[in-house]
Amino acid sequence: MVTRFLKETDLAAVTAAWARDYRVLAPVREGAAIVYRVFSEDMHPFLGRPPTSSAKEALLPQTENLFTYTYRKDHADLTRTEVFLSEALPPEPTLILGPRPCDARGRHLLDRVFLERGVTDPQYKAHSAATLFVTVACTSLQNTCFCHWTGGAMDDETGSDVLLHPLVVGNTGGFVAKAVTLAGEKLLTSLGASLPEATQEMLAKLDERRAKATDPESPSEPVPDLSAVAESFLAVFDDLDFWTDQSARCLSCGVCTYLCPTCSCFNITDENHGLSGRRLRTWDTCMSALYTLEGSGHNPRFSRAHRLRNRVGHKFSYHPREFPQAATEPPSSPSGLEFSCTGCGRCIKSCPVAVDIRRIVLDVIKTATGAAAAHKTAQKAEEAQ
Amino acid sequence: MNALNPYIPELATIIETFDETPDVKTFRVVLQDEAKMAAFCFEPGQVAQLSVFGTGESTFVICSPPTRMEYLQFSVMRVGELTHRLHTQKAGDPIGLRAPLGNHFPYKDMQGKDIVFIGGGLGLAPLRTLLLFMLDNRADYGKITLIYGGRTPEHLCFKDELKEWAARGDMRVELTVDTPGEGWQGRTGVVPAVLTELGVRPENAVAVTCGPPIMIRFTLEALGKLGFTDEQIVTTLERRMKCGIGLCGRCNIGEKFVCVDGPVFTQAQLRGLPQEF
Repeated sequence: MVTRFLKETDLAAVTAAWARDYRVLAPVREGAAIVYRVFSEDMHPFLGRPPTSSAKEALLPQTENLFTYTYRKDHADLTRTEVFLSEALPPEPTLILGPRPCDARGRHLLDRVFLERGVTDPQYKAHSAATLFVTVACTSLQNTCFCHWTGGAMDDETGSDVLLHPLVVGNTGGFVAKAVTLAGEKLLTSLGASLPEATQEMLAKLDERRAKATDPESPSEPVPDLSAVAESFLAVFDDLDFWTDQSARCLSCGVCTYLCPTCSCFNITDENHGLSGRRLRTWDTCMSALYTLEGSGHNPRFSRAHRLRNRVGHKFSYHPREFPQAATEPPSSPSGLEFSCTGCGRCIKSCPVAVDIRRIVLDVIKTATGAAAAHKTAQKAEEAQ
Repeated sequence: MNALNPYIPELATIIETFDETPDVKTFRVVLQDEAKMAAFCFEPGQVAQLSVFGTGESTFVICSPPTRMEYLQFSVMRVGELTHRLHTQKAGDPIGLRAPLGNHFPYKDMQGKDIVFIGGGLGLAPLRTLLLFMLDNRADYGKITLIYGGRTPEHLCFKDELKEWAARGDMRVELTVDTPGEGWQGRTGVVPAVLTELGVRPENAVAVTCGPPIMIRFTLEALGKLGFTDEQIVTTLERRMKCGIGLCGRCNIGEKFVCVDGPVFTQAQLRGLPQEF
C-alpha cells in the first residue's frame, strides 16, 4: 500500500499540482460555511472541519445539462420548425479534496440508485468514472455525528481513492496519505519527492489511534439496535399523529436533503433562450409540497408530516427493503441493514429548527414496540375473557 | 427509448390533433425515424414522456393499442404548463417522446374472462388502449362491459368511438353523466352507482378501472360489495413523474416506483403498499 506524508504547509502546492490534471473541488471557508469551489492558485483549501456541503455535487451536480435543443425554421415554409438535439458534454476529470468518510460512503449509496436499480444513469456513471475522492479521516466525532450507527467509521475507506489521516509529527502538522485505489496510488506517486514516504513511526501512531477508537473497553458511543427499524417504520406509517408531532417544527425548507450525501432526488426542467435551450437536471427535495403535486391538484404528500415521513422512510425502511442483499456486503451497519444514510449529521446540524433524524428513528422503534406490546396485552386480555 | 441515454427523447412529429372535450385534446404522433417507428413496440398500459422543448416533459399513457401502429395516440387534458403548451401544437410540429415506460395491463391473465371497464373522464384513456387491444383479439376474452361517466355529456372523451362500441353488438356500453344537458338520453348519476345498479357479476371477471381518485374510492367500495376480490380489480395510478425510469424519486409508494413498478397495479398489490396515494 502506498503511504505518503503531506505537510500542512505543502497542501496548497500539492493541490495546485493535482489541479494541472484535474478540475479540483476544494473546500474553502465562505463566511461561516465551508463549501467546495473549483481550485485556483490563490485559494487556501481548508481541511480543519467537515465541509458544510456534502461531496455529492462531484457526482450529481446541483445543476447539469441533460442535452441541448435548437429549433430551426423551415425557410420555405415559415410555419414549420424542425428541432435538433445534442448530448451534454462529457464531464472533466475531477478530484474532490476534503470530503469526510461519511461523504465517501455516500458514493456507494448513490451507486445503488444510479447504477443498480435496473437502469444505468449515463451521466452519473460518467461523473463517477471521472472523479477521485481524496478524503480526510476524522479524529473526533461532532455531537451531530452518527456514522457508527450506519456502518461508517472515522477512518472508513469505503468510496475513497486516497484517505488523508491528520497527524502532527513534532511541530509539523500534516496528513498521512493512504492510497485506497490504484487511481489513488497514482495520485500520490505522481508527485515524487514532494510527497515523502510515511515513516513506520507515523503508521504506528495511526494504528494506535485506531486501536483506541475501536477498543471495546472504552466505546466512544453506544450504537442503538436498529435491526427492526425498517419494519417498525411501516408499523407506525399510518399513525399520522406520530408524524404530525415529529414534523411540528419542520419548515419544509429542504436544507436536510440538499446537504445530504445520499439524497439523490432530482427535477428535470427546460431553460429556453429564443429558439434554443437546454434540458437541465437539478437537485430536488421531497420536503417541498410541489415535489409530488399533480396537475389535477391532487397531492399524495400534501402535509409536512407526509413529507418528513417519506424522508425518514426512504432512508431507514424503503432503502434497506429495496436492497436487502446489501446486508451480506461489507459496508452494512452494525444492525445488519444498509441504510440510505451515512450518519454525517448535516441534516441535524444545518436544520434551522433542530429536527433530529436520530431521535425520529429511535421514536419510530419505540412507538412500534410500544404499539406491538399494547396489541399483545389487548390480545391476551381478550383471550382471558 | 434511446439505448445509450434514457433522458434523450426520440424526435416525433404530430400528424393530427382534435378536441375530445373542452379541455382534452388528442394527438396522433409518429417517430421521425421511420425505421424506429417500424420497430417501436409497447404493451397496453405503458406510458410515454412527451416533450415540448423549451417547456418540459410530462407523462401520458399511450392510448392507442399496439395492434394499431400507424401512429401513437395521446389524449391530454389542459391542466398545467406543459399541457397548455402541448395544446398549442399542431399537425407538423415536432415533439420529443420517451417510451415505452412502466409496466402494462396483465392482459394475458385476463384471457377467457369477462372484463368490466369502469372509467371516469379522461380515465378512459388507458382503458381505451386495453379495450381496443381486446376488441382486436375479441375471441380471447369473454363478455366485455364498459361503464363510463363524465361531468356532462360534453366532457365524455372518444364520443364517436363510444357510439361505435355501443353499436358493435359484442360489448355492452353504459354511459352516465353527473349533469345531463339537453338531448342527453343516457343515465344520470355517478359511475359507482351505475355499477351497483347493473349488479355486475364477479364470477370469472376482472374489473379494470381508472378515473379521478374520488371515483376510484367509491368504485372500489362498490366492487367489493358486488363480491370482487382485490385480485380481480386492476387499476392504473397517476403520479407526478419526471425521469420515468425509477431514479428521480417523486413517484415512490414505499420502495415501489409508479413509473417502473406501475402504473398498473391490482388492488391486492396496492393493499400491500404503504397507503400513500
